Amino acid sequence: MIGRVLAARAALGLGVVLAWEVAARARDPLLYIPPSRVLPALARLLLLRSFPLLPEHVWLTLREILVAYALAVGVGLAVGAVLGLRPTLGRVYAPLLGALYAVPSVVWYPSLMLLFGLGAASKIAFGFLLGVYPVVLAVLAGVRQVSRELVTVARAFGAGPGRVFRTVMLPSMLSTLTGGLRAGLALTVVGVIVGEVLGSTAGLGYLITYAYGLLRTADYVALVLVTLAIVLAIDAAAGLAERRARRRWA
Amino acid sequence: MAGPHIVVDGVSKRFETSADAVPALSEVSLAVGRREFCTVIGPSGCGKSTLLAMIGGLVLPDAGQVRIDGQPVEGPDPRRVAMVFQDPALLPWRTALDNVAFGLELRGMSRPERRRIAGDLLGPLGLREFAERYPRELSGGMRQRVAIARALAIDSEIVLMDEPFGALDEQTRLLMGEWLLSIWTRARKTVVFVTHSLQEALLLSTRVVALTARPGRVKSVLEVPLPYPRDLESPGLASLRATLWGEIREESLKTMGR
Ligand SMILES: Nc1ncnc2c1ncn2[C@@H]1O[C@H](COP(=O)(O)OP(=O)(O)OP(=O)(O)O)[C@@H](O)[C@H]1O
Ligand SMILES: [Mg+2]
Repeated sequence: MIGRVLAARAALGLGVVLAWEVAARARDPLLYIPPSRVLPALARLLLLRSFPLLPEHVWLTLREILVAYALAVGVGLAVGAVLGLRPTLGRVYAPLLGALYAVPSVVWYPSLMLLFGLGAASKIAFGFLLGVYPVVLAVLAGVRQVSRELVTVARAFGAGPGRVFRTVMLPSMLSTLTGGLRAGLALTVVGVIVGEVLGSTAGLGYLITYAYGLLRTADYVALVLVTLAIVLAIDAAAGLAERRARRRWA
Repeated sequence: MAGPHIVVDGVSKRFETSADAVPALSEVSLAVGRREFCTVIGPSGCGKSTLLAMIGGLVLPDAGQVRIDGQPVEGPDPRRVAMVFQDPALLPWRTALDNVAFGLELRGMSRPERRRIAGDLLGPLGLREFAERYPRELSGGMRQRVAIARALAIDSEIVLMDEPFGALDEQTRLLMGEWLLSIWTRARKTVVFVTHSLQEALLLSTRVVALTARPGRVKSVLEVPLPYPRDLESPGLASLRATLWGEIREESLKTMGR
């Protein structure tokens, strides 16, 4: 059964690749980039022939993601906790957050570049901006899931605020929280890479715009594939961390 | 120690809500002796749970004071007081065993030790095979027994129970009452027990405290000087029952008339 599903998927994938190859050759191989041109480009990229500084760029992007995400999580948890645990503050400010978020975030990016320049800081700021909101929302939703009765039980059995948080609040919020943390991570990655694409002097996004600008289309697709692999790896790591957290705290 | 174990000394409590202030208790005083089984009974909403929460240090009185062994209660003190709540309030992500061990864990006891103590408690409760089950996999009666075991596990001198059998059917309730009595006679703890049920109050307690309709005041205190196990049909209990019903009926009518 699973074998047949996999075979069906592989057949579909192969079909698409073949159709793409045929169509691209028939039209313009430069613009439509047939798979037969992508593979050699990918090999050149991975062997550091086309972009010898690829590791540095990747490393920079990863660092930007890491810093942006750490900020998003820290600020998101704090803001969420304050708004969630102080009902009046929450009623006043939570809708404001929602309104801010309704604006397509890309419109903030030019002002971030003006504020933080073309370097890493503006990418970190943009990744943070995109990543922080799901974290805040998850904490707000999570706090609402915590049962007052269970908090009372923990207090009655001698738990101070820290233990109440650890033994009752965290497990109650866990699935909502991990959902928000993963959504935040995905959006942080998007923010950082989009930031690099829109305007930067280094990083994966920068290489992508560079290759694209010079019409090195096969290199461009190879870079996109590398980006995809990195994003998938980050998501897989997040999934692993999530499962661990569940086993540890719930 | 000589004096009473628990003293509730003229406590009052109002709850401020956005609309108005609900007076829940008004100058309630009562003393519970060591190893007594004291039942509090009264119409719904008269402040029984509030009174229990106050003895447990979870709610502080607006006026008056609660003292245990002569010392004022200023917050929860699980070394002296264990609580069983109106609904079992088990942690859904923990097994029965780990729920029972919860209080011991908060005390900092090592995992093997607290699990051993909790396991020893589950056996006599008929829950041995259910130790590794989660609360959602247990029946209502089992959950309530786990909640009681959680309170007994910390081995405090006082156990406060807020309608622990309220959600159970009549037969299970009677059986659970018998079971609780056997524990109480063996462990000799001071118990304050809240119930709606006259029968339960008369079968279990050494003393019944009836509260008035809201705001709760002490309406009457009835000693039940009968040996255990008790028979509801016995003349002694029947006459006490008539007395108690007379007290409660009036207050219940007030509540319903509102
Ligand atoms: N946290 C609270 N905030 C506001 N009002 C409260 C709160 N706790 C209790 N009350 C009010 O205080 C009164 C007494 O409540 P309590 O729960 O002590 O009654 P009870 O005698 O236990 O009732 P029941 O038999 O139905 O359990 C009720 O009118 C209730 O609405
Ligand atoms: Mg109650």
